[in-house]
Amino acid sequence: MKLRFLITQKGLVLQSPTTEEILARAKSKKQKLKIFYGETYDDYGNTIDSMKYYFFVSELAKTLKQEGLETDPIILIADTAACRNVSPDLEKRYMKLGDDRTDFVKKVNKIYDLGLRILRMSEYINTKEFQDKREKIIEICKSDSGLMAAIEKTVPESKIEEERKKGFMYSFDEIATIIDLDVKIGPPREDLYDNIARELSRREKKNPLMSLFLTPSFPVGKNWAYFFSQEGIEDHGITAYKAGSKRLQEFRILPGLTKAEQAKSLIDNSFISLNPSLPNPVLDIGIICEMARRNLKKEFIQINLNDEFYSEKIKPTELKKYVYKALQEEILSKF
Amino acid sequence: MIQDKERKAKEEYEEKKELVKKELDYYAEKMQEFGLKSMDRFLEYCPNPSKYMQLGITFAHKDLEIVAEAIADHKPWAVISGLNPSGPLHLGHKAIFEELLWMQKQGADIYIPLTNDESYTVGKTKSLAEARKIAYEQVIPSIIAMGFDPKKTHIFVDSDYPDIYNVAMDISTKITLNKAFGVFGFDKKEEGENPGTMFYRAAVQVAQILLPQYEEFGGPKPTIIPVGIDQHPYILLARDIAEKKGFIPPAEIITKFLQSLKEPGKKMSASNPESCIFLTDSPEVAKNKIQKAFTGGLFSAESQKELGGVPEICSIYLLLKYHFLSFEEIIKLKEDYEKGRVMNSDLKKMTIKYVQDYLKDHQSKLEDAKKNIDKFLLKTPIRSILKY
Repeated sequence: MKLRFLITQKGLVLQSPTTEEILARAKSKKQKLKIFYGETYDDYGNTIDSMKYYFFVSELAKTLKQEGLETDPIILIADTAACRNVSPDLEKRYMKLGDDRTDFVKKVNKIYDLGLRILRMSEYINTKEFQDKREKIIEICKSDSGLMAAIEKTVPESKIEEERKKGFMYSFDEIATIIDLDVKIGPPREDLYDNIARELSRREKKNPLMSLFLTPSFPVGKNWAYFFSQEGIEDHGITAYKAGSKRLQEFRILPGLTKAEQAKSLIDNSFISLNPSLPNPVLDIGIICEMARRNLKKEFIQINLNDEFYSEKIKPTELKKYVYKALQEEILSKF
Repeated sequence: MIQDKERKAKEEYEEKKELVKKELDYYAEKMQEFGLKSMDRFLEYCPNPSKYMQLGITFAHKDLEIVAEAIADHKPWAVISGLNPSGPLHLGHKAIFEELLWMQKQGADIYIPLTNDESYTVGKTKSLAEARKIAYEQVIPSIIAMGFDPKKTHIFVDSDYPDIYNVAMDISTKITLNKAFGVFGFDKKEEGENPGTMFYRAAVQVAQILLPQYEEFGGPKPTIIPVGIDQHPYILLARDIAEKKGFIPPAEIITKFLQSLKEPGKKMSASNPESCIFLTDSPEVAKNKIQKAFTGGLFSAESQKELGGVPEICSIYLLLKYHFLSFEEIIKLKEDYEKGRVMNSDLKKMTIKYVQDYLKDHQSKLEDAKKNIDKFLLKTPIRSILKY
């Protein structure tokens, strides 16, 4: 598949650097181009929405390989970050959950032959190299009120005092993790971290990281009134990698946990609209299934589901049926 | 002479445009002041919004979210919309009832308090009995004739449903006089201000709003009140008391009332018979009122062809918009009107026909409606507040 097609895929990619920018970065580097997606987790299971990111990181790497470019596609399980805000007695459990999430990514990697490198934050966070890098970032930020204000903005209002006491270490870990990357894949809400990392790189005269945002994730099985009530959900959706985001664990597809019957009911009861600016959780799951299919078959052809739906070639009821079948065949049956 | 005519036409056009702007500014300012949300988001998500919502007649809301969830989940919810009986219903009332009919189709139970106590205490009728008579003989039959479902419509005349006064007493301790004066601005010297109006506005009116949430009607549930924007403070008072009583604060939708036939910016009002078309008007009376109505057109047909008309303040166009044309038809008519492709005479002719046909149809249903009044009356006694 051509890089241009991949990064302009409607219903999948929200914002991307241009083909030229990605190719120029890859060609100018002596080392492999670092393509990265990082996530935390909770104790409600592994989401299908995370798989969208695993597939995409892999497909971007494979597409660049076709152009003769070397890449390092990384999935980071941010276990240390996930444990940072939990009590010491919960820490053990959260590290164990990190094992579960890592096993899940390994399984996805194997089933779909994604060629991903899976990394855990705990593997590098205590290394001298990382700590030095983080110290340097903290030093620069603390000497610049604009940067510190930006750091504060990465924290929700409700947690600002708590984070201030902890010296905003969660945010600094995140920035130190991403600052040397080339292409960072993530949900649009991560822009705040990415912008700080880019600003620091500019000051250091280094190549700034490029952000590539995929479309937000939405709960399934929720009707129109739910979406009407959630102002702003169109822009940020819910947290893709946390099944319990907004306590909606009952409204997520969790491979290995969600039964076929349950998935059918969730899809059947999902809000669906012909307005492309509104959330479309069914279409989103459909696109993830198509990505699963093309990885299984190793046929990297463009996904047309978005265009076919919004041009009304597929009716909403037909889309629901199609997506359920694809979900069962390409994902649920594999776990 | 020609230049004078042109200047005059332009002035008239600009004046009318200015009236439209003034109205828009007023609503925008009030929405901001009261923290109301526009209906845009609802229109994007709701699969079948009402015609009034689509046309921007119902244009703002507070807390519609809780009602939307009840609609989508098929859970119980209720609408409360009262009026004081002092004469027959007119086309302005019909607009409100059309919105209520849409809500009933979405699953709402409709509560319609007919406030003969208010009619009397504010001096609209000479006695409680007169207002009561109007309620039963004119108002209720007209409401029934509009096609409400008796199983989901609960009409009561305050005098004949004294339980409402017990409910008013029940909630009255949750309202301070200070608060009531703040909201209603009672004026000790004003005629028509008396203990009755005070008790009605500060307690009975709130009791009517909260009634569907009492145990006898299934307990707390989402409720909504369609109001004009100036009534928002009353809803705030009811929301405050609802919380104190452990009820769900009522939501509201804000509707632009149908404009008077005589004056832009004023609503149709029974107290000014020339401003409205009563549902009991004869075809001839209705025709005369329409012919004399204020329009958005210009003084000469030539000028109107050149400059176009101003539909937003045209009482005739608004009659068609509220009652007789579909969404698509009204969009087309507005464009034609603005571009001077429609003349007042054509518009009036068309409207007379629509109105006369509607009145004929409505009036033909009244006798039958009178026979069914009992099916619509709320009689449930409220005993939960008297338990000991």
